[in-house]
Amino acid sequence: MPTINEKLTEEIRTQAKALLADGTVAAVIGYSRGSLPMTVKPTVVRASEDCGKLVWNSFCVLNLANYLPEVLKSVEPPRGPRDPKPEGPLAKVAVLATGCWSRNIVVQTQEHQVDRDRVVVLGVASRGMVSRRKVEEQFAGREILAVEEFDHDLVIKGADFEEKINRWSVVRDNCQTCTRPDPVLVDVRIGEPASERKNPNPFQQVDKIEEKSSDERWAWFTSEFSTCIRCYACRNACPLCYCPTCFVDDAKPQWVGKSLDAVDTGLFHLLRAYHCAGRCTDCGACESVCPMGINMRMLTKKLNKDVLNLYGMEAGMQPASPLPLTTYATDDPQKFIVTEAKAVKEGE
Amino acid sequence: MPKGSVLVVGGGIAGVQAALDLANSGFLVHLVERTAAIGGKMSQLDKTFPTNDCSACILSPKLVECGRHMNINLLTLSDLVSLDGEPGNFRAVVRQRPRYVDPTKCIACGLCAEKCPKKVPNDYNMGIGKRKAAYLSYPQAVPLKYAIDPTHCIWINKPGRCGICAKECPAGAINFDDREKDHVLEVGSVVLAPGFSRFNPSSLDFTGYGRLPNVVTSMEFERMLSPSGPCMGHLERPSDGKEPQRIAWLQCVGSRDIHRAGNAYCSSVCCMFALKQAVISMEHAHGEFEPSIFYMDMRTHGKGFENYYNRAKEQGVRFHRARVHSIIPADDQGNLKIRYVDQQGKVNFEEFDMVVLSTGLQPYRHIIELAAMLKLELDADHFIKTDSFNPVASSRPGVYVCGAASEPKDIPQSVMEASAAAAEAGRILAPVRWTETSKKQYPMEMDIHAQPPRIGVFVCHCGINISSVVDVAAVSAYAGNLPDVVFSQANLFTCSQDTINQMINIIKEEKLNRVVVASCSPRTHEPLFQETLRDAGLNQFLFEMANIRDQDSWVHQHEPVKATAKAMDLVRMAVARVRGEGALPYNTVPVTKSALVIGGGVSGMTAALTFAEQGYPVTLIEQSDMLGGNGRKVFRNWKGDAILPYVTDLAAKVTTHPQINVKFNCEIKDVAGSVGKFSTTFSDGQSFEHGVAVMAVGGEPYKPEGKWQFLHGSNANVHTLLELDKRFIEEDATLKKVKQAVFIHCVGSRIPERPYCSRVCCTHAVDSAIKLKELNPDMDIFMLYRDIRTYGQRERLYQEARGKGIIFINYDLDRMPQVEEVNGQLIVKAHDPIIDAHVTIHPDMLVLATAIQPRQQSGKNLAKFFKCAIDSQGFLLEAHMKLRPVDFATEGVFLAGLCHFPKSMEESIAQAKAAAARASIILAHDVVPAESITAEVNRAKCTGCGLCVEVCAYNAVSLDENGLSLVNTSMCKGCGNCVAGCRSDAVTLKNVGNEQIMAAVDAAFCDE
Amino acid sequence: MSKTNKTSETNMTSETNETDTWEPKIIAFLCTWCSYAGADLAGVSRFQYPPNIRIVKVPCSGRVSENMILSALKSGADGILVSGCHPGDCHFISGNMFARRRSPLLGNLLEFVGIEPGRVSFSWVSASEGEQFAEIVKTVTERVKALGPATRLIKKIDQAA
Repeated sequence: MPTINEKLTEEIRTQAKALLADGTVAAVIGYSRGSLPMTVKPTVVRASEDCGKLVWNSFCVLNLANYLPEVLKSVEPPRGPRDPKPEGPLAKVAVLATGCWSRNIVVQTQEHQVDRDRVVVLGVASRGMVSRRKVEEQFAGREILAVEEFDHDLVIKGADFEEKINRWSVVRDNCQTCTRPDPVLVDVRIGEPASERKNPNPFQQVDKIEEKSSDERWAWFTSEFSTCIRCYACRNACPLCYCPTCFVDDAKPQWVGKSLDAVDTGLFHLLRAYHCAGRCTDCGACESVCPMGINMRMLTKKLNKDVLNLYGMEAGMQPASPLPLTTYATDDPQKFIVTEAKAVKEGE
Repeated sequence: MPKGSVLVVGGGIAGVQAALDLANSGFLVHLVERTAAIGGKMSQLDKTFPTNDCSACILSPKLVECGRHMNINLLTLSDLVSLDGEPGNFRAVVRQRPRYVDPTKCIACGLCAEKCPKKVPNDYNMGIGKRKAAYLSYPQAVPLKYAIDPTHCIWINKPGRCGICAKECPAGAINFDDREKDHVLEVGSVVLAPGFSRFNPSSLDFTGYGRLPNVVTSMEFERMLSPSGPCMGHLERPSDGKEPQRIAWLQCVGSRDIHRAGNAYCSSVCCMFALKQAVISMEHAHGEFEPSIFYMDMRTHGKGFENYYNRAKEQGVRFHRARVHSIIPADDQGNLKIRYVDQQGKVNFEEFDMVVLSTGLQPYRHIIELAAMLKLELDADHFIKTDSFNPVASSRPGVYVCGAASEPKDIPQSVMEASAAAAEAGRILAPVRWTETSKKQYPMEMDIHAQPPRIGVFVCHCGINISSVVDVAAVSAYAGNLPDVVFSQANLFTCSQDTINQMINIIKEEKLNRVVVASCSPRTHEPLFQETLRDAGLNQFLFEMANIRDQDSWVHQHEPVKATAKAMDLVRMAVARVRGEGALPYNTVPVTKSALVIGGGVSGMTAALTFAEQGYPVTLIEQSDMLGGNGRKVFRNWKGDAILPYVTDLAAKVTTHPQINVKFNCEIKDVAGSVGKFSTTFSDGQSFEHGVAVMAVGGEPYKPEGKWQFLHGSNANVHTLLELDKRFIEEDATLKKVKQAVFIHCVGSRIPERPYCSRVCCTHAVDSAIKLKELNPDMDIFMLYRDIRTYGQRERLYQEARGKGIIFINYDLDRMPQVEEVNGQLIVKAHDPIIDAHVTIHPDMLVLATAIQPRQQSGKNLAKFFKCAIDSQGFLLEAHMKLRPVDFATEGVFLAGLCHFPKSMEESIAQAKAAAARASIILAHDVVPAESITAEVNRAKCTGCGLCVEVCAYNAVSLDENGLSLVNTSMCKGCGNCVAGCRSDAVTLKNVGNEQIMAAVDAAFCDE
Repeated sequence: MSKTNKTSETNMTSETNETDTWEPKIIAFLCTWCSYAGADLAGVSRFQYPPNIRIVKVPCSGRVSENMILSALKSGADGILVSGCHPGDCHFISGNMFARRRSPLLGNLLEFVGIEPGRVSFSWVSASEGEQFAEIVKTVTERVKALGPATRLIKKIDQAA
């Protein structure tokens, strides 16, 4: 009996093959098997005969929307930076998308990075992706040689051991608190739709930090981000970070120093998170790729919480509305507004 | 040849607007103001309705522009004493009283007033509190020059006795030998904007005004609310300084009152004035606050007013429809008891902490003398009489009038009339535009592009204003040692003419390519120093100021060491900022000298003629096959003049005018370009290039439906006002046979779906009822109304109607009139609140006063073409409700008539002329200036995310065909919102980029 | 100026009281059209306030980005004040509304990572609110003084302290 993911993999291959074969799309963005256990490789398939290498499993932690603008450009006829856009319809690209990835495609559309008409979304409901780090921590000191995946369990194999663990227990934090596993955009449905997950408090980790004192929070922040080596893997994995020059590379003025000084790394993460305000879908790619295991998601999650509470908006959920920071309401809250002789801290 | 100059009398908002419009369209203006400073009544207001804008804040820039304008000759403390000649060639004598302070020397340091020993009641604060005999009317006064009050000055009355001000003045500006002088001025036209006075309630004994300290007039209360007023904006009552919790406003004190006040008219503005004060007081109050308004009819007939009224009700303002019998002391603590009679005739008492009398507007007494001298006709209320179809024309040709001198009116209406008066005054003078004006010439600018920075710093003592606190010599020496600073000097008065001349030489000799002045505020002095740079051949944008007076020495008077350290910081920051600045272009856009007018109603035709008569080609487009619009459907105006003959005549003038091209059955397909150069394509495929556009697309009557239908359309005896007008126009003889008629007011207005008052229907309905009475004096007429809003002198019609026996019955939305038909007979049932009983009427005619609404289709689409804003009701939204009533935020596009808001025909005519006048300012120039500090995009960094496009309020940013951001410099206002929004730093603001700002910030922290 | 100024007497510190104790430096980004004018009016009216602020004139409160605020803290500011026109009064139509939108997101984020509340403040000051401006500067200065020197975003200062 095939597992859910095996069935999905089969469906992905069939649909991708059909789309490429009849010329509906020029490329399909998906995943192929990785070289190490618990890894997969983001892959662009451009020929129907290559579709057999596409896979779907619990280790698809990178956000495929990140590759979409580039792949879309790759299927356009070549042109110089100042040449006008070519006439006529341009080739399309299919992309696999879960709930958060599809919401990123919405944001990319709102921000003119992606032309929605050129994208065929292969919508697949996410069952939560597994955190390799969580598994490795459970097997600390033991080398994992293979992982076999079942619907609700993982079987971890080493040279001298084989253990079965519960899959959900090692699913990433962002997936565990996710309320919207089902894609908001679906052109071709893969598998069954998932219903919205009732999560009593998607912001529980943020709340925990908020409960701390100011000094404790500062201690948490400095220790959490002190190990950052400024490799920018988080930035590179993020579909929101598409600026040709990042603010960290600006010289006049130099907003953030490039050193590993705690102030520089701290400022980098604060500003990067702030730049994601109202746009982040909590896909978790940044954390998944961080070689140092920094929980930088806490910053974006905090901003997501505020954007939702203050402005009632969630990234990618209101495709027809402007993004939260490009609009305003006349009665927006005024929490930090100081008035004469007193600091007004507006209530809820 | 006519004269190319105009005399404007009155420096209130109307006079200032007229002066600016005229001076900016090519005429030399002599602006004559009675007091020592321009600003008028508006400058005394705390806030303005319906936006609650700070009055001084929105007015101040206009005053400063007026004060600095090369072609406005400001004559304060002056009166017009004679006027001879005829239109085009008048000879005016203006008598100027002595100021005793030499305005060329006064630096407005305030020492004279501080040291003056003579205290006098502060007339600017309506007599509340004191000022000195040497005084400045208010902090933002223009000219910002002190004056000495000759009636109170000790020296002037007894020479030799005082003279302290002369001893103390650091600039030597006091001149006790100043004498009255006469200016003889040859002008082409005259605009009168002498303003209005307020009714003095001392004569109304029942109010207790003058006897009871806690009874104040609304203008006194306004000064008390003002942060710059005698109570510094704290709510306190006069008797004991306690914060009042219960305030009552009494409406119509001195208005709508022939018996006690002798004023028959309604003052138009007091209802909103009181509402605003009630709402603002609530904001000021610290604890419980109960505002109450005692009124006869709430008249909130302007744009946004009804909403304001509704909000005030929600916020807890209480309303009593009652006339107050008397105000008596309630105790010996200063509380007051109001005795009033409610609608049912019951006598009630209520206690208050304070009472505000909403005193009416009335003409100044001296207006009567002025009118006699100018041979102008006045009306029965002593307002200056104007023409029905030319609302700014007085009875004397060439003399125009605007503002509340011709009828009580609010600020936007006054501003509209001011622009309209400017249009009229300039019309016959169009051929001599720019003949008497002067234009500044500048030397060639040095190219500093490849030069290393050479910064010069000028540090000002400002007499002792700065140097009494800050060690100016130390600051100057410190500045001289800063990197790139090659010259530093301290001056006694940097803004004095001799220092300015010296600065020009220093810039040239020292080859300075950046300048910093450390003195006062750039808001007042930057233009002067920037001009100095231009005079020295340096681009004016290579300049920064360090504000070491207003923001240092004046606010740290007792901390000289810290103030000096701060001054050094501020200079270092300014030097850091100017170092990164570059020369900017003086941007301009060439002007296509023609106008597009959209809409062929009375407003559109008036605007088109106003352009054409000045010689500008006009294309007028009309969507139907006939000119005239709603004007053809109205019988007569409130003054009794028939409208159709006027409209027919106007249409004939428009169609035959050689400069006007009328296109019928025409709509707009596309609009490209911006101010100075639009290109519009029409539905017939033709296109037209024009520098400006006026939207006059009109409005349409609401078609009664639902609960407001009242059998309209099914019973032949139910009419709308316009349908009745049609019968009047056709002289339908059967109207005489009507025995009983009922009018229902507010049909479709002032309801949740249409939360505005349609302004004209009360007057229209009352006048129609009077007309019916004229046809058949025995006719019984009942008016079912919510509030009668015959504002201004239209109130006379209401009085006349009541005098003729027309019966007015109040209704409200909870007790709507019911209309039914039994065997063809109309039956109207209503509830009469006065007798608290149901009345049943069997009229043979029912007339519905229906709402005016914006055109559903055309308005919205057109607004999109010109990027104009629309309000929630679909009316076009002007740039500023108070001070820019005919401009759009989009430059070069203007509006007039019903598409803006319901209004009467004379108001539409005034607005149309105003729109044409405002547009003519652009057409009078060969180029229009554009902002120099504009955003620019580094395309290599741009992601094309479009955030900058979204946050730009001026539609100046768009994405180009490559999807990258592009700034239209001619539309950019330099706010920098796009810069702050850009994540990749792809957008910058020239000279106000992150580079310059952060250089200043960083400099604040690197000592030495 | 007539001396009706109520607060001028109460807030005077005599010259001898100027001591060498630590004084914070606060950067105030003020919009040209309202708050900068309000600061000028405070001067014209001689409302005294502590000499700790360094005013940086910007066209509009909406011009001030989070980068600028954080960078100023990094450069050594002990406090930041951003002040613009009251909502609805923006000279540039809506700049202050965007500034208001952004302010709680940045403010909350800074508090979330342990930057002391009160380092960054926002206010609305109109051109006619000279006294209010002085009061706000007093409030902000007192708050920053109570917090002590800002060290958390300054390089080369012992973070663990």
